[in-house]
Amino acid sequence: MTPDASPATNDVILDFQNVTKQFPGVTALSDVSMQVRRGEIHGLCGENGAGKSTLMKILSGVYPYGTYEGNIYYEGQELKFEIGAIHRAIEAGIAIVYQELTLVPSMTVGENVYLGKEPVNVGVVNWNKLYADTQDILNKYNLDVDPQIPVRHLGVGKMQMVEIAKALSENAKILILDEPTSALTEAEIDTLVEILQTLKSHGVTCIYITHKLEELFRITDTVTVLRDGKAVTTQLTKDLTIEKLVRHMVGREMKERFPEGHRQPGEVVLEVDNLHAESPRVAGQEILSGVSFNVRRGEIFGIAGLMGSGRTELVSTIFGEYGKVTAGTMKIEGREVEIKSARAAMKEGISLVPEDRKGQGLILKQSILKNISLPNLEQFSGLLNIDSDAELKACQQQAKNLDIKTPNLLAACDTLSGGNQQKVVIAKWLLSEPKILIMDDPTRGIDVGAKYEIYKLMNELAEEGVSIIMISSELEEVLGMSDRVMVMCGGRSSGILDISEATQEKIMAFATGTA
Amino acid sequence: MNLSAELSKRFRQNIQTYAIVLALVALWILFAVLTEGRYLRPQNISNLFRQMSVTALMATGMVLVIVLGNIDLSVGKAAGVVSCVAAFLQDDFWHKILPSFLQETFANQPALLDAILPIHPLTAAILSVILGLLVGTLIFGILQGYIIAYLGVPAFIVTLGGLFVARGLILWITQGQTIASDQAYFREIGQGRLDVTFGWILLAVVIVLLFVNMFNSRRRKQKHGFALPNIYLDLAMTVFFSLLAFAYVLVENIDKDTVKEGIQNAGIQVPVLLLGIVAIIMIYVSNNTRFGRYAYAIGGNREAARLSGINIQKQVFGVCVLMGFLASCAGIVLASYVGYGTIAAGEGYELDVIAAAILGGTSTLGGEGTIFGALIGALIMTSLVTGLQMMNVESSYQYLVRGMVLVLAVYLDVTLKKNR
Repeated sequence: MTPDASPATNDVILDFQNVTKQFPGVTALSDVSMQVRRGEIHGLCGENGAGKSTLMKILSGVYPYGTYEGNIYYEGQELKFEIGAIHRAIEAGIAIVYQELTLVPSMTVGENVYLGKEPVNVGVVNWNKLYADTQDILNKYNLDVDPQIPVRHLGVGKMQMVEIAKALSENAKILILDEPTSALTEAEIDTLVEILQTLKSHGVTCIYITHKLEELFRITDTVTVLRDGKAVTTQLTKDLTIEKLVRHMVGREMKERFPEGHRQPGEVVLEVDNLHAESPRVAGQEILSGVSFNVRRGEIFGIAGLMGSGRTELVSTIFGEYGKVTAGTMKIEGREVEIKSARAAMKEGISLVPEDRKGQGLILKQSILKNISLPNLEQFSGLLNIDSDAELKACQQQAKNLDIKTPNLLAACDTLSGGNQQKVVIAKWLLSEPKILIMDDPTRGIDVGAKYEIYKLMNELAEEGVSIIMISSELEEVLGMSDRVMVMCGGRSSGILDISEATQEKIMAFATGTA
Repeated sequence: MNLSAELSKRFRQNIQTYAIVLALVALWILFAVLTEGRYLRPQNISNLFRQMSVTALMATGMVLVIVLGNIDLSVGKAAGVVSCVAAFLQDDFWHKILPSFLQETFANQPALLDAILPIHPLTAAILSVILGLLVGTLIFGILQGYIIAYLGVPAFIVTLGGLFVARGLILWITQGQTIASDQAYFREIGQGRLDVTFGWILLAVVIVLLFVNMFNSRRRKQKHGFALPNIYLDLAMTVFFSLLAFAYVLVENIDKDTVKEGIQNAGIQVPVLLLGIVAIIMIYVSNNTRFGRYAYAIGGNREAARLSGINIQKQVFGVCVLMGFLASCAGIVLASYVGYGTIAAGEGYELDVIAAAILGGTSTLGGEGTIFGALIGALIMTSLVTGLQMMNVESSYQYLVRGMVLVLAVYLDVTLKKNR
């Protein structure tokens, strides 16, 4: 199963030269240069937000030519995809299989593979040809799926195969797999590895994005590490070790980015014991498999883990708004509670600053005032009226405490910067005076200055006795802000570390399941 | 800030509302020119307001339904059912079925019968209204709302089904006959007018309230340290609205030439007054209660609303019940106004109601829309109909024009938003 360590050729198929991509306020990619050789399996790894997805979106034409700096050469020619020309990338032979599956569940395998490019005779779909062609592709790459079965009857692993077949139906020369194994079982991963070997023998070049380090060693020929939007290194996989790789991924020093806290965690406030939960969407799919931890008064409890490790699912379940709890108990201040809705959670003194500020936190078109008061309206209203003076006063106080920068509270939230929007979300949850404040990635996508203010606020709250559970994708943040850190991997707690013993390397090891 | 700068700022902030009011004014001027002034005669303006009252009553509720991201296709026929129920009660039940039933049952107690019979028309009218509202709210509010909110069937489907059910109910109640409903007292709901003097008093009260409201709002703004708008601008706006109210009362209070002899033809019309009261309540509910706030929050971002602890099912149910109740109110007004219940009652009204809400700036994506806008929207739809009728335009063309105006208006709205 060990891949041939030396790639098929030394011929470069894809050459990124000094690629830089800026978003307002954030540099996602900074001067990235990297080469991919024909016929190799090229691993791409890095922390969340390191720039992997951005790089692939440029390659596939999602971010068109001109929106980034630098050049990309493919087969010796510069790639220049205009706006809206994602199909051009596909025609050129660059195909992506995204992390989220993009199949139509009610359609058959064949229909999905040929979606949008069905073989036709005078406008009528030639079903025989469609299924025959699908079968040919499946045979060629040893994919074991029946082309006439509706996709919804397939498991995730087989769906992945269909995705791959779909990508290959265009005669792809480069196949990009974006975290293909995040939803797969061990057996399915084995099958995927075999498929990749078959593809390689057919001369298809693969770019393989993953968090899971052991997979890189198992599958890839070459690995490029991205960190903070920069390509740190490209090396042959055989020359690397896990330790070396982790150091490349995290290797930066802790800067003075975190305000000093004087927290003194007290007695246990929240106790979660052996929590199991099922996905609300797929019956029987376990998303949390026995998570246990406790949080003390005035403590900042960090939760680390990679995307898909179950962090968000855990806190949403605690907040009563995600999974169905199948086993385990939860105690608040020693009293066993059962929380089945956000409302119930709020009654128990739990607030949640959700992960997706725009999608879950705010009503963007409404005013700051209305957003802050929304979960707290009962504080200043009867059945038939809202005491708008009291409402305004309370919201003004919050806006002042959090230093929300706006000319007035009646401005719509979509006019604010990301940092100020996040402050509005925090304000709305602080107004409900929580005992336990859950913050899911509270500083995602906001600038350094606003981050510092939010850290300061978290310290103040903790010093006042609020227990904070903070999920973070940034290891530095977890290490800089937490009193203790729980690391999650595959819906479980893979380790709880006291801050004095936690290091980036240790956390990464727990998160990737290599500890 | 100087006056013109503030004026233009205020205009830009409320461009959608002003745009639709301007559209209405333009429409009136157009029809006035085309009909050589006949369109703006008091009689016609008076008719216009009365004709819009049924759809506008429902449009105030439809705004909240659409704001939630739902739709209600049953409202027109729901009003139709209630109008037929009321007509049936008025014409048959109180004066034929119930008396004969009582006479048979209590034949040996003539004293009791004398006390009850004949049922006084006022008692009959009140009971008809209450029962009509009950039946309508029960079926088209509570039942439909329960299915939509708690059983999770899409509102489109449930209310489409409701539309068919309503047709069946109407046929069953009327047996295909036209039932008279213009009995004394009951007729006043849709056809009555207020005493002229009382109209003037009401006007005075409204004007005083407008001014009180203005000064209150300024005082509150000052208290919270908000920048106060220019006092002259505020005054001008208040005076303008007072003048509008005055103009309306004046138009209504003028003695108009009517075809029918002996009918009071001056004074504010009862259905318009009812609409005014409902509109004020609905505007208040949508802005100043949790119920209203939650509706806009759910429409604006369902997920954020859910995570804010709002009980979405309960809210959806509540709005459905309110819509059912308003449709029932419209049904009572309809029965009284046309004077009979018939199988065609309320036919196609749902389209006018939805169109009014949309014209008034309600977003079909949910989260946005105002009751005031919907009222203007209803007025525009009715103005179109009466104007085209007055010009003797064939019905076929009337429908064409109405359809095109609706699409054009939303197109302009979309373009306007894109360019802002």
